[in-house]
Amino acid sequence: MKVKVRYVLLFIVPALVLYSLFVVYPLFDSLVLSFYSWKGVGPKNFVGLKNFKEMFFGGFSKEVFNAFFHNIYFFIVASSLELGLGFLIAFLLASKLGGAKVFRTVVYMPNMIPLVIVGFMWNLFLNPQIGLVNSFLKLVGLKSLARPWLGDPATALMSIILVNTWRHLGFYVLVILAAMLNISPDLIEAAYIDGANNWKIASKIIFPLVVPTFRTLLILLFIGSFNVFDMVYAMTGVQAGPFRRTDVLGTVFYRTAFGGLGSAYIDMGLGAAVTVFIFAIVMPLSILYVFLVERRERS
Amino acid sequence: MKRLLFLVAALVCIVVIAGEVSIWSWRSQDAEVWKQVEQELRKMGKDIKINFMAITPTEYDAKIAVALQTGTGPDIVYSRRLPGGRTQTMIENKLYLPVDEYVDFSNFSETILKSVTYQGKKYGVPFAVQVVGIFYNKEYFDKFKLKEPETWDELVEIAKTLKKNGITPFFIPGKEAWTLTMQHAMCGVSVLGPEWIKKLIDGETDFLDPKFTDLNRRLNELKVYYQDGFLANATTDMDAAFAFGQAAMVFYGIWGYQNWRNLNPDIKVGYFMVPPLSKDRKPYAYVYMDGAITLTSNVKNLQDSIEILRFCATPKFGTIFTNITLNIPAVSGAQLPRDPLFEEVMEVYQKHASPHVYWVGSVFVTQKPSLYDDVLSPGMQEMYAGKITPEDLSKKAQEAISQWYEPLKKRLGK
Repeated sequence: MKVKVRYVLLFIVPALVLYSLFVVYPLFDSLVLSFYSWKGVGPKNFVGLKNFKEMFFGGFSKEVFNAFFHNIYFFIVASSLELGLGFLIAFLLASKLGGAKVFRTVVYMPNMIPLVIVGFMWNLFLNPQIGLVNSFLKLVGLKSLARPWLGDPATALMSIILVNTWRHLGFYVLVILAAMLNISPDLIEAAYIDGANNWKIASKIIFPLVVPTFRTLLILLFIGSFNVFDMVYAMTGVQAGPFRRTDVLGTVFYRTAFGGLGSAYIDMGLGAAVTVFIFAIVMPLSILYVFLVERRERS
Repeated sequence: MKRLLFLVAALVCIVVIAGEVSIWSWRSQDAEVWKQVEQELRKMGKDIKINFMAITPTEYDAKIAVALQTGTGPDIVYSRRLPGGRTQTMIENKLYLPVDEYVDFSNFSETILKSVTYQGKKYGVPFAVQVVGIFYNKEYFDKFKLKEPETWDELVEIAKTLKKNGITPFFIPGKEAWTLTMQHAMCGVSVLGPEWIKKLIDGETDFLDPKFTDLNRRLNELKVYYQDGFLANATTDMDAAFAFGQAAMVFYGIWGYQNWRNLNPDIKVGYFMVPPLSKDRKPYAYVYMDGAITLTSNVKNLQDSIEILRFCATPKFGTIFTNITLNIPAVSGAQLPRDPLFEEVMEVYQKHASPHVYWVGSVFVTQKPSLYDDVLSPGMQEMYAGKITPEDLSKKAQEAISQWYEPLKKRLGK
């Protein structure tokens, strides 16, 4: 059946209008704004590439690159943990152990908790005086490991990454589990008949077959790691302390564009330049993601 | 009949909306103040409904700017003090309106009015004066027979005694870096002294002066008397810990008193200014005007908004404000709460306010990089964490401020 073009357009146009209005237009507006200096009110002054110069070579660059490297660190640690643990837990769940259904719900549960509550809750758990984490360590005789998790420059960012992993792990488990359940049981049964043990089955059959899913998830994790803001904001605030040790590009952008207590520059234009920088990092990977997903679906 | 009903409904709506004035603030603790102001205005025969909304302090300025530009802002806002900062930008863009022609400012001092005046016009009615210093738990001081220190060394001795007896001497909310800047600034007015700060402002000395580094060092040495893991604690932790006696002293502002009493009505709080280095020198308190109640360009109900602003400039408003918040009202002539701590702080404000400062209200925070946001906030955390030395902190201050502060540039031959 041949579908008339005007009907196709009729269905596409509403979505296109909304998408253009809420995604494309703000994107281009941010790009334009990055060439201006604007305090958020009053006239915008065209400054050309000054914001980018300030961001890459000026006094602001120290702050930006400090945050940029934290984003990279965030990606490396978060992806290792979330994919590693995700695979392990999904494998256990796929093995249909007793209580797997309950465990699946438990693993996914943190995903349903609003982020503000996650931040509040973990701020309490990690409190150096009354926090559950330190109390537990003291209880089991590991007092030497107790520390001010969010106040210690050595552990602050790692603590946020761990909380982030705790919150998002369920999603990765579910996606990897779905990929595992997609594997033909015949393959596994045949391997068992041939005398393969669990380790062999996991490493030689299941793992290679979920690698395409890993690739997709890795790209999602990369995009997520460079857009991370909410978790850092909820746990260490806009100043991303101690002394910017948990700062990421998202918090630099927020401080710069919107100001407020502890803000540094208060310039929407400079803030927009930071978002353009994030976009330039994330966009190529997003395109790759779309390409990979499409190729998988085609295959 | 239908038309008549519609007309009546429309009239009711107009009457209901006509008397409503919206006010936005970063101070959630003021909600009760506006309830009482509404009642008071009603007693005066003015049927005005006040719609008060508090916004998170870190998001407040951005929200106000966007709302006022898009015409969705309130009639009245709480504005930050002048000079510089956001307020000046808002005035220059005509989003805040002058109120000279509506309000009688005779109940305010010239010093207070300076912080709402721009190019000869007054933008808002000042609401509070804040005093910062050291607040202490009187029971602990009585128990260990301690008296308020007159010198820095005596302060250290007090901390030593408390620690020896198992009491945490100071609770520091180091996670919120602004409190560390405030701590530095309040110590600065007594330890360095206003004369030294005046020299710094005039470019006769700079941040590399050994006196400034000495203050950094003294603060760094004091950290052994702070609670464990203090860089991970926020002001909410501090409020609870201090209110329930888990620490003996805090470096804070009088605005905390209302909260401590709410948490523990039995708490007995004392106050002293940070002591100077020797007895022959006078201690000072860091005092600043907090903000003002300002008319916006989005005002929909001008007449009633003016009535509210007029009321805010009267001692009656000051009485309501101070009795609820236990903050010092900016307007004079108010009936102050009969509270020994409040009375003491009030006296300090009148007799010991430092004329020269380097935190809120100072010239060093008017441009970027600022001494407040870019140097002392992260720098104090860094020093306390042992990542930089007191000397390094002085160097950071010198490097940042000499980028733009003309007297310092001139001194350094830049």
